[in-house]
Amino acid sequence: MRRAKHIYFPFLLLVAFFLAACGGSEQQTGQKSGVDEGAAAEAVKAGSYRAPKVAEPCGNDCPYEGDTVTVTVNTAGKEGPISGPLYEVREEFEAATGAKLEIVELPFAEHFPKLMNDLTSQTGQYDASIAGAWWLGDLVGGDFIVPYDKYYDDPSFPQWDDGEVLSGPRDLLSYGGEKYMIANDHDGQVMYYRRDLLEDPKHQKAFQEKYGYELRPPQTWDEFGDVAEYFNGKDINGDGQGDSGLTMHLKVGGQGMFHFMSFSAPYVIGPENPSLYWFDPENMDPLIDSPGHVRALKKLVELTEYGPDAMTAWSLGESWDHFLRGEAALTFTWGDLGALAQQQGSQVKGKIGAAPIPGTKKYYNIDTGEWVQTDQPNVVGNTTGGSWAGVISKFSDAPEATYYLLALMATKEKSTVYAARGWDGVDPGRSFHFLPPDGSGSMGNYNKAGWNERDAEEYTTAYFDSFNAEQQFPYLRVPATFEYWTALDISLSEAVTGQAEPEEVLKTTAEEFDSITERLGREEQLEIYRTSLNLD
Amino acid sequence: MDRAGDDRRSREYETNPKATPSNTRADRTKFLFIGPAVVWILAFTLFPLLYALYTSLYSFRYGQRLGFVGLENFARLFTDSNLLSSLRITLTFVVGTVTVEMVLGVALALLLNREIRGSNVIRGVATLPLFATPVAVGYLAITLYYERNGPLNSLIRALGGENIPWLSDPSWALVAVILVDIWQWTPFVFLITLAGLQSLPSELYDAARVDGASATQNFRFLTFPLLTPLLWLILLLRMVESFRVFDIPVSLTLGGPGRATEVYSLYTYRTALRFFDHGYAAAQGILLLVIVMFIVTLIFTRVRGLYEER
Repeated sequence: MRRAKHIYFPFLLLVAFFLAACGGSEQQTGQKSGVDEGAAAEAVKAGSYRAPKVAEPCGNDCPYEGDTVTVTVNTAGKEGPISGPLYEVREEFEAATGAKLEIVELPFAEHFPKLMNDLTSQTGQYDASIAGAWWLGDLVGGDFIVPYDKYYDDPSFPQWDDGEVLSGPRDLLSYGGEKYMIANDHDGQVMYYRRDLLEDPKHQKAFQEKYGYELRPPQTWDEFGDVAEYFNGKDINGDGQGDSGLTMHLKVGGQGMFHFMSFSAPYVIGPENPSLYWFDPENMDPLIDSPGHVRALKKLVELTEYGPDAMTAWSLGESWDHFLRGEAALTFTWGDLGALAQQQGSQVKGKIGAAPIPGTKKYYNIDTGEWVQTDQPNVVGNTTGGSWAGVISKFSDAPEATYYLLALMATKEKSTVYAARGWDGVDPGRSFHFLPPDGSGSMGNYNKAGWNERDAEEYTTAYFDSFNAEQQFPYLRVPATFEYWTALDISLSEAVTGQAEPEEVLKTTAEEFDSITERLGREEQLEIYRTSLNLD
Repeated sequence: MDRAGDDRRSREYETNPKATPSNTRADRTKFLFIGPAVVWILAFTLFPLLYALYTSLYSFRYGQRLGFVGLENFARLFTDSNLLSSLRITLTFVVGTVTVEMVLGVALALLLNREIRGSNVIRGVATLPLFATPVAVGYLAITLYYERNGPLNSLIRALGGENIPWLSDPSWALVAVILVDIWQWTPFVFLITLAGLQSLPSELYDAARVDGASATQNFRFLTFPLLTPLLWLILLLRMVESFRVFDIPVSLTLGGPGRATEVYSLYTYRTALRFFDHGYAAAQGILLLVIVMFIVTLIFTRVRGLYEER
């Protein structure tokens, strides 16, 4: 019997493993956002603020009786980012048109491939997709979606005004002069900071003594690094444990490349160079390994010292949860975070400030091959992210009903509510989302969604300033954009985990960019790239 | 003995010199039975294989066939450093997982191949991981490996150790993926080995006991030789399965950090379904098939040799 007891040890280990697995931890595995696949960060819950009904029931005279509109959207559920509003509007849409709405949720990783399979096989299974803006290169380049210009002014459809979309995100709605995406979500990255910490006299004094200048919302990436370094390791949420100076999501496939885009833009883009970032528009040579990009990546790697080591393996949700639990002083990410911070479970409501992405005092002019010194921070606005919005398939049997649905969701009444709620993943970008004097929005709307007023003011101002910035980050919209970005994403991960030096990884990325371009046809890619930049 | 049938066939040969056994009704009945299996193999094995071969000879854009490129996609296989990296990672993964799974699985089976109280329950519990969905296991492992306050690191800290960067360090990330696979698939080795052990003839052990053989001698001269063909078979199945590993690295690390856990199947998946380069992905699939077939042939040859020796 004595020997038999030893037999139990492996099973005790096995059971312990199970128990450990069931026990869970502080980590919130919920992934993400309106930018990626899905469920909002787990630290917060959806609120009860609902969008009003604006379409009248059609009674016996339904314009699209018998039609079925099938829409694909990233998997997130009935109260999830981007998919939530579709479920919310379904009953109203069906009553107003007589058409049926089928919502097909597809995991983020499968959404684009499945849509492309449907489009390339011309089966027309899907009438529309709530698509990422970077898909447009493939969708328009392949002639798979139709412009909606002919429906836009037709009064039989719900009316919305694309003139109300701020200039930065408005550019993403059209391609080659035609309108393809119906306004919905407006992504862009801004910087978030813990206002309570930056306004604390104790920290202000200590920071001044250490760095020789006042503690304030960082205006350059160097200042951002100083503030992050200062707070890193300090207990900033009162739980007795050291916290982080900053948080980012840098896992491969965790959208770290978007961080790099927003981050590196002011190192490369400047008044003399508004659009040279990805490729040379004369010959499609990659520019991603320019000295400006390299310096940006070196700085980004340096900043990782001031966040948790684990963040190089974090996706969006984990990074957001870290901030929402009050465990980081700074971050830069999408609008979802500002809105999620207002909801149940957040530890930072009333403490979260926002500002446009910091700039630099020096940028590399790719055109002249020289570094340019600036007196004021060189700031670049961005529309980085998915800006998830509806597009209509060329093979749809019901394009009118499909446009009706997407236009209904784009109406001012609905969009106002969508943008103020955190859980639905729709971020602000239209004039009525912003508070006076920037726009015509109202604080009452944000109050109903549970916002702290000062948080809402700073949040909307940050987005307004970013989307209206004179310089905008050039969004890449060519075929195989995702392939280019994946190459960049993997290289960035190699750099931040110390597998290779920034120069080396960006050189490798440039070679991979070139290889992709060659495979797809340099001339074809160049033509589409120039069209996407409105150069032709 | 079907004398009437034999007579009928003899008459057919006499009246029709071209008649052969395969033309007869009895043989046609055989084909009816074999037919479904043949159709199945043609439709689900040969056709996809031939279609993959056909696809590998073309270039693609937007997922649509562009033009015939001959062996260009195969030539790319040998100049693609990312592919070679994924192959190296996969080989490391296969060697790491299969070795540990075989040793642990066999050891567990030997431990449990005896009468102890609650053995049925223990055996049942031991096989539980086998029935979990690999993707779910991968996501579960994210929680377990969570570096700040996850259960594993909490345990390690409680024992006086330091946090292990399970998922953020390139070397540890591969170890993390290997450990999850070992956790899930060791029970497979255990289960089959246990079944093998329980089917061994007890007479041999009775005779050995009479001869005064020790437990070690029993294992060395009876159990191990008798189990060897089965162990080769398990090794073969686990190796083939490990070469195709996909779910666990995808759900746990997405191939990162960098390309540290980008296994071959993940690379092929990205090529086909993220980048829509179907021709090149088909060529990658065929290369993997060749590699696996080579290993399978080696093992089969060895197993056949063992049976012939016996």
